[in-house]
Amino acid sequence: MEYFIQQLINGITLGGMYALIALGYTMVYGVIQLINFAHGEFFAAGGYVGAIALAYFAGVGYMDSHPVICLTAAFMISMAYCAYLAIGVEKIAYKPLRKESRLAALLSALGMSIFLSNGMMLTQGVYDKVYPSELFQGRFDFGMVTLSYLQIMIVSLTACLLIGLNLLVFRTKIGMAMRATAQDKTMSALVAIGSNRIISLTFAIGAGLAAAAGIMYGLYYGSVRYDIGFVPGIKAFAAAVLGGIGNITGAMIGGLIIGMVEIFGAGYISSEYKDVFAFIILIAVLYFKPNGIMGENIDDTRV
Amino acid sequence: MKKRILSIMAMGLILVPFLFATVSAKTLKIGSMSPLTGPYASDGTDIKNGVWTAIKVFEEAGGVPGYDKIEFFPQDTACDPRQAVAAANKLLNLGVVGVVGAYCSSSTIPSSEVLDEESIPMITPASTHQDVTDRGLEYMFRMCGRDDDQASAAAKFMKEALGAKTIFIVDDKTTYSQGLADGVEKACEKLGIKILGHEHVNQGDKDFSAILTMAKLKNADIFYMSLQGYSSAAMMTLQAKRLGLKSQIVTQDAVFQPKYMEVAKYASEGVYLTYGLTDPSTPEYKAFEERYVPKYGAIAAYATYAYDSATALLKAIKAAGSTEPAKIKAELMKLDYQGVAKHVKFRANGDSGSSYIAYKVVDDKFVPYWEPANGLIK
Repeated sequence: MEYFIQQLINGITLGGMYALIALGYTMVYGVIQLINFAHGEFFAAGGYVGAIALAYFAGVGYMDSHPVICLTAAFMISMAYCAYLAIGVEKIAYKPLRKESRLAALLSALGMSIFLSNGMMLTQGVYDKVYPSELFQGRFDFGMVTLSYLQIMIVSLTACLLIGLNLLVFRTKIGMAMRATAQDKTMSALVAIGSNRIISLTFAIGAGLAAAAGIMYGLYYGSVRYDIGFVPGIKAFAAAVLGGIGNITGAMIGGLIIGMVEIFGAGYISSEYKDVFAFIILIAVLYFKPNGIMGENIDDTRV
Repeated sequence: MKKRILSIMAMGLILVPFLFATVSAKTLKIGSMSPLTGPYASDGTDIKNGVWTAIKVFEEAGGVPGYDKIEFFPQDTACDPRQAVAAANKLLNLGVVGVVGAYCSSSTIPSSEVLDEESIPMITPASTHQDVTDRGLEYMFRMCGRDDDQASAAAKFMKEALGAKTIFIVDDKTTYSQGLADGVEKACEKLGIKILGHEHVNQGDKDFSAILTMAKLKNADIFYMSLQGYSSAAMMTLQAKRLGLKSQIVTQDAVFQPKYMEVAKYASEGVYLTYGLTDPSTPEYKAFEERYVPKYGAIAAYATYAYDSATALLKAIKAAGSTEPAKIKAELMKLDYQGVAKHVKFRANGDSGSSYIAYKVVDDKFVPYWEPANGLIK
């Protein structure tokens, strides 16, 4: 039982990170029907910017005196940077192709992904960028079950971001405009919603969430590297498809499921095949529900 | 259309003199193969830097008579067998006379077959799997130690120095890491250490919480990590400490990288690992340190071995006075000198002997801790 609870905690932590990344895929797909394969790179870039910011704070000595403020600032800087990066990527790589076939934009996305990842390798080097892993070092022990401060921090921050996003999309004017654009770009333009602005905003929000996940990843695993975006990116994409691509709630649920299945598969069956389990579940669900768990086209929840 | 064809032809004509230029200059071509991209890029870059340093030092000392300069072609294997074979073929086409590499045993083994067919000497600075030299290839040499020796040294260390009774092994399924883990398992069985589990993870995995939870449940005396690179090892160590794993962590030569402590920080303190004995007090090592550190930073796992491999190759070519493979091989076998990492002297099968000892991480440094012959090092 203790073993089960420990694995459950591991699964939720991992699943939460996948959910944050998956949201970016699903939101962008909702608005312009594009699988943004460069999204994993926003996640990696977020991790890098966070590492650089934290290293800077540590250098000037703020890290020892005000760790929480520094961390918050690192989150802010990194999320803002990635939001702008995503807007730029959209303007350069996707906007000119919006009228072309979908395949063209998809290929452009793949190219952008390789470009960004190699750009990070060339500018930041091939070595790992280290995070201050001594932050949140403590942990609670309940018999065999261990809950580290870091896990609590990550899970609660993830929850806050997910709730915040839900509020933004379903309770505000901007959210309404996003949903309207997702449903019908021409029609929403007629009621004075600038679709370009909304598309930029969608990219920005998605990338901001990915950047937050990147910093959490760095804190949790101790370091980031230029190639970290690839595997979590693919898993998060699977999570978005599993939940029903285009559906925000679906992406959150999908992320958690993929994280859990991976951990439980590794913990109970075989850690060699943990990636396989995640994708088996994906295939099985898509076989019976081709639109994913939450369905692709529930009009209200699509962004 | 016609214009385009004309301009392409013109461009081709412009390039022709360059082709002849490279052919006519008298240069000695040396290749290296190591992962310059991908998860092991840092170790691969160390190897490239090591070879580069060796060539520079050798040229300053007079170079090879009859050649104006030594040209260096570092190739990327990405630790991928297919890319390694492609890199080997490319080096053949470039006309190199010797190759230093590769890093991953899984790259070295297939690419060495390609090079051996054309009788190009290959010296690996880092591939420790037995099969690298056990296949009886004529032009395969190894500067580092062997995994069977490392496995028995590790088992002996855990038994004698740590008093281990039980062990939990994890590897990441590469030719090197799984081969070594299997070797450790066998050696432990022989010494009466009970195996509580031998699990596998995938290369490039970052999240080890599931497997570490399992290890925590088994609570063996030793948690043995056999991973291909320091980066996964650092992540695993950090997560293990955070999860409250009580087993003593023991690991192996691929983790011998100062970056390991940089990433794992407090979690790396007290970790043991096996690695070849290098005497840092020799003048050769000190000279290398002076050359290497200001340019590339702290000396890591296989930079020294790469340096020795390249130096051995160049010395042999110089002594042979020709680039004929058989002559180079004969001179390589005659070598007997103190290198940076070890005393260089090749045996008939291409090995140069193993000297595995246990190191302990103390204050972010690898400190020699135990040797098989004499026990604890004071």
